This record gives sequence, C-alpha cells and structure tokens, in this order.
Amino acid sequence: MRLQFSRKMLGIPYAVFLLFFVILPMLIILFYAFTDKEMHFTFENFVRFFSDPSKLSTIAYSLVIALITTLACLAIAYPVAYILARSRMKKKFVLLLLFVTPMWINFVLRVNAIRELLNWVGLLGEANYFNTIFGMVYDFLPFMILPVYTSLLKIDPSYYEASADLGAGWTRTFTRITLPLSMPGIMSGITMVFLPSMTNYVVSDMLGNSKVTIIGKFIYEYFGTNWNMGSMVALILLIVVFLSTWLTGGFKEEDTVRGANI
Amino acid sequence: MNAKRIGALALAAALTLPVFALTGCAKDDTIVLRVYNWEEYMDEGGEGSYDADYNGDEQAPAMTERFEAWYEETYGTPIRVEYTTFGTNEDMYNQLMLANEGDYDLLCPSEYMIMKLAAEDRLERYDESFFDPAIEENYYIRNVSPFIRGIFDGNRINKADASDDSTWTDYAAGYMWGVTGFIYNPKYVEYDELKELGWDIMRAPQYRNKVTTKDNVRDSYFVALAILYRDEIEALDPSAPDYGTKLAEIMNRTDEETIEQVEAVMQEMDENIYGYETDTGKADIVSGKIWLNFAWSGDAVYAMDLAEAGEDEDGNEAESELLNFFIPDECANLWFDGWVMPKGAQKQPAQAFVNFLSMPENAVRNMYYIGYSGVIAGEEVLGYIKDCYEIDPEEYESDEDYVPYDLSYFFGDTVETGSAVFYADREQAEHRQLQAHYPTKETTLRCAVMDYYGEEANENINELWSRIKAETLDGWAIAVLIVAAVLIVAVPLFAKFGGKLDFRGKPKKGYKLVKQENIRHQ
Repeated sequence: MRLQFSRKMLGIPYAVFLLFFVILPMLIILFYAFTDKEMHFTFENFVRFFSDPSKLSTIAYSLVIALITTLACLAIAYPVAYILARSRMKKKFVLLLLFVTPMWINFVLRVNAIRELLNWVGLLGEANYFNTIFGMVYDFLPFMILPVYTSLLKIDPSYYEASADLGAGWTRTFTRITLPLSMPGIMSGITMVFLPSMTNYVVSDMLGNSKVTIIGKFIYEYFGTNWNMGSMVALILLIVVFLSTWLTGGFKEEDTVRGANI
Repeated sequence: MNAKRIGALALAAALTLPVFALTGCAKDDTIVLRVYNWEEYMDEGGEGSYDADYNGDEQAPAMTERFEAWYEETYGTPIRVEYTTFGTNEDMYNQLMLANEGDYDLLCPSEYMIMKLAAEDRLERYDESFFDPAIEENYYIRNVSPFIRGIFDGNRINKADASDDSTWTDYAAGYMWGVTGFIYNPKYVEYDELKELGWDIMRAPQYRNKVTTKDNVRDSYFVALAILYRDEIEALDPSAPDYGTKLAEIMNRTDEETIEQVEAVMQEMDENIYGYETDTGKADIVSGKIWLNFAWSGDAVYAMDLAEAGEDEDGNEAESELLNFFIPDECANLWFDGWVMPKGAQKQPAQAFVNFLSMPENAVRNMYYIGYSGVIAGEEVLGYIKDCYEIDPEEYESDEDYVPYDLSYFFGDTVETGSAVFYADREQAEHRQLQAHYPTKETTLRCAVMDYYGEEANENINELWSRIKAETLDGWAIAVLIVAAVLIVAVPLFAKFGGKLDFRGKPKKGYKLVKQENIRHQ
C-alpha cells in the first residue's frame, strides 16, 4: 500500500498537538477532580469546595479583584485609545508605543519595581488589596489598550461625518457609533484582562505580601499536597472562565460586529 | 512525488538520529548517578566558592565534578553525576511520584519528608558496611557529629507503626541542620522585649506589620503551637530525663482540639504580621521594610553577612549594618535535611557520594558556599569555625566582652578533647552569626523535631492553612459571589442590547432634535 501524500496530512501535527497538549490534559484534570487519592470515583472534592466558606470567599474575592481590575483598565484604556485613534497627531504610534513598551519588559522585574514604589509611598503591607489591584491594572493595561485602539482605528471616518451631518452631538455619536463599533475590541480586552487577573498570584504574593489569596494561588498550593482538590479548583475556575468567554465570545458573532470589520 | 519522498526520508532519518545517539551512550560503562537536591544547596565552584575566596582558585570545580574525579580514582569506574534541583519538599515528592523506579539515586528531603517516604516504603536502607568505620572510604560514619548521630539513632522513622523500630539512621544520612528563630533589627527591637515575648512576637501589637513568617504551613503551625502551649512547655523541667520526649510530644500535637485552637492563634498572627514570604524576607529585613523575620538559621547567617557587607543581594544599601538572630527560649524547631535513596537507586555510588560530601574539607566547601551548618564534625570543620569566630582575649579590654563558647557536644571525639571550646566575642555568641551557625548545647536541648504528621492530620492542617490564607466572608460571601456573577453576566448583556438604548446628547448648534416617530410619518 502506498501512502499518498495529501494536503490534509499537513493537519496531523496540529491534531496531535491538540490531542496531547489540550484534550488529554483536560481529561486528566477531570479525572483527578472526581477521584480520591486511591483513584476511586468521588464527589467529595466538589462537595468540599462548595461547603467550605473560605473557598467560596476566595472565589468571590478573585471575581471582585478581577472585576475591579478589568473596569479600572477599561476606564483608563478607553480614553487613551480614543484619543490616540482620533487625534491627527503626527507620530502618534510613538505615544502608543510608550503605553505598550512595558509589556516587553520582564514581568517579575515590573512587579518588583512596583513593590519598591509602593514601599516608598508607604502602602506596602498597609493596603494589600489595593496594591494587588494596582499591580494588576499596571500589568494588564496594555492588553486593554491595544484591542480597543485597533477597533477604534478600524471605524470608517465617514460614519462620524454622516453622524455630524445628521446633527448628532458628541455624546450621541459616541453612544450610537463609536461605542457599539468598538465593542469587539472592548470584549477582547476584557477577556484578556479578566481571566489572568483571577489567577495571577505572583502579583498578589509580591504586592499583597501573600496575604491576599486568589484562586490561582489555591490551585498552586493544592498541587503541592492534594492533586485531586487542586484539579477540582482548576476545573471550577475553568467553568467560570468558560462561562465568561462564552458570554463575551457569543456576542462577537452578532451583527453589530460587522461594522468594525469594514 | 520523488522530491517529497526524499524529504520524508530525510525527516525520518533526522528523527531517528537522536535514538542512535542514545544507544551509543548506553554502550560505555560510565555509571550515571542521579542526584536530586535543593536549589543552591551544594558548592558549585568558581566565583564565591571556598577555593576562590581562600585559595584564589577562581576556576575551582563544582562538588559534583570533584566527586566524578574522586570516584573514578577510588573505584576505577567512570561516573557522571546528573544533578537536578527542587524548590520545596512537596515538589520533590510530586516529581518522585511521576518518575520511574530508578530515575533517582539520591534525594535530599527534610526530616518529615524522609519520614513520609519511609512510612510509604519508598526508600532503600543504607548498607551495614556504610557504618563500618574501618573502611577507609566511609567518611560519613567517621566524621558525622555525635550530636547528629544521636538524634538520627534516637528518632524512629515510622512513629505510626509501633512494630517498626527502624530509625532515621537506617534510611538517611544527614547533610545540613539548623534551628528556627527570628532575624531582627536591633535598631528598632529590644532584645529583652523579645526574650519576654518569645514566639508571641508574631501577635505583639508593637510589631504590627513589622514581622513576617514563612509562606509554609508547617513553620507557621509550629510557631502557633509554641504560642498556644507556652505555659505547658515552660512548666516542664529541663533537667528531667524525659524533657525532650515531652517537649516533642507537645510540639507534634495534631488532634482536632489542638487544630481548632491553633486556628484561632494563626488567625491572630495573620492579622498582625506584615506578610508571608518565601524568599523576600531576607532582602526586606536588610532594606529595613520589616524589623523581624522568621528564619531558618542558615538564612539568618546569610542575611547577617549581607547586612554587615552593607547591602542586600541586589546591591541596595542596607538599612542597618547590624542584624541579630534570636532563638525563642521556650522552644525552637530543630530541622535536618538528609540524603536518602529511593527504591531502585544504585546504592553503591549513592553511598559513595554521601561519603564524599562527608569528607570534612568538602563539608567546609559546601557550608561556605551555601551558609548552612553541616552535620559533619572533625578538625577541618572546627578549624573553619574557629577561623570565623575565635577571638584573642588579649585584644579585649574588658573580659565582659568575650565568652568561652563550647561546641564539645557537637564535635565530641572527632576532635582533640577540649579543643572545641574557644573564646568568642560576646555579641557574636549571644546575638549574632555564631549562635545561629552553631547553637549552644543549651539551645539545642530546648529544640523539638517536627515529625511527619500522617496523612489525615496533614490533610486537616492543610485545610486549616487554606482557611487562614483565605479571607473568609461568612454569610455574605455568597451574596458577593452572586453580585459579582450577575455583574459579569450583565456587563456583556448590557453591551449587547445597550446599543438599542438611546442616550440622547444635545444636538449640534443649528440642528434640532426630531422624534423618531415623526421621521417615519414624513
């Protein structure tokens, strides 16, 4: 039998990759989450998670921290992106670059720098939650600015002209044209900020002196001693993440997006 | 088609090449010894090593390279050391569970992990010949401190199983040891006050936000136990023969009632401390962010050395050039790291490696490099300690300023009788590096070893830890959860339909607002 080379075969490496690095690990997590140390099927991890107020509180805290971080990022990023996209300034990419360059500097280094800064101001060890959120906003800001900027840039200027022609003021133009058309950018920005800020415990450990516990830290600690419980927490986080992605991603296929793709 | 086939063949050849290379390797008779050790826990030679600083040999080989040369010379077989490192005992354990039997020959876990591994029957015993002092290559048994030997002989490895009377000695050879205490900045902290507070430093309001502890459940649990049972500990008679056993019993309690009370103590600690740290503590105390830092003695020596040099490890200026070490009077934790051989290990080269590390000159090299105290005694080690700390009383004006320091308990008969007593600076002996490096006999008597708690107790204590670390919100936790969840659902949904809502701004100058219905009518 001769093996014919076909173009479809080019997909094999990707299929293998997906199988071994995505699907299989997920199944392993699922397996661990619903077994005990003797590998017997059990719901105990699930029950234990939802009957322990400290675990539920940690999820709540993580959600709130992630939410505040995301909103703060959006509040800072949108005006910046808007000004950058709409301004007729020459070399505005230099300005954009200034906002984005920190992304290219080592993450741990940046968090360490923030730590020193907060210490200098006198907040380190005093306001752990504020510090954590501050650090996360600083770290994830570029991930919000870039997609919003891109989506704003894509809006055809003739829309603004038409809007002005028809007599709409700035507020109306913004709510009827700019905001809806930049929604895809906002959504991808939210996904890129919200999810990591629920799990990035390096920030909370360094800036919150390990007194702020978010869900990512839980998973890390459990994987030191109890893989089954760790897998369960990871699975629950996966579901939360899936839900929010589904909600934001499902939106993307709607008609409003089309405008942004012109 | 042909070209493609040739390409596929070439690819196949490229893929199989490494396999040939591997089989080629296996043919020669070099032994491969796989050592799995803590990070930065062995002399790596070069700059900063003992040989570089004392003999000017900047190209000094790493300990593993020295061993390879020594082994081939002694036993006539070439050997290669594959050296890997881990960050925590738990990481090491997980790695070991994933590995196949025989993937590692030598591990260096802490005492409780050694006990856990032995209880689960995952370890090889040391050969009887390893303990025969008549064999020339048996450096460990000839040089190990009698103090350490006594502890290794006296501690049963499996406390849960009364029929198993094997001791640490059967499964483990010591490597490094030490005690726990506080590094403190004498600029802000009074020694007398510490002495009075003991471990309660963690809850003392005057040190609020100025003291840190380890981000690790066992160390925090030990501290909380010492606070909780202070009265009981202090009521014990230190001169009684069963003092040590009683102390160890108190410091290893894991019953439900104890855990409940410990939780309350740990919660108060949590509210008082600056934070939990894994390795920022040393830098933070040198730079002055904190005043007190719970520390293992080896780290304390390192931090005090840094402060003396005037800067922290990143080169930032030290806040104070003086840091001290304080070991609370009531009780401290005596810890060990030791070499064990997992099941399927190559015992002969593994034991040879332990013996090689136990040559006093190699023990000094490792101690110098990593800053911890080795379990090896002997003339060279004593010489090194004296070199660091011995003073000449002639140079002192007042005999108040120096004290005789007695390490005979540690060195025993490995050195000339009486030579382990020397004069040391009083500050050094009572507050600084010396007592951290080698605590006095009195201090070690007040110390307890932390055992492996057993599977169930361990689980309970880990749960306790997660409750302490998490901020528990009682009843309204769920409320917040729901609000947050609703917000997350609401934001995209609002965004989805938000476009249909009409935010009417003011019309531009010269235009007027026309109602939607009116447009349609026209």
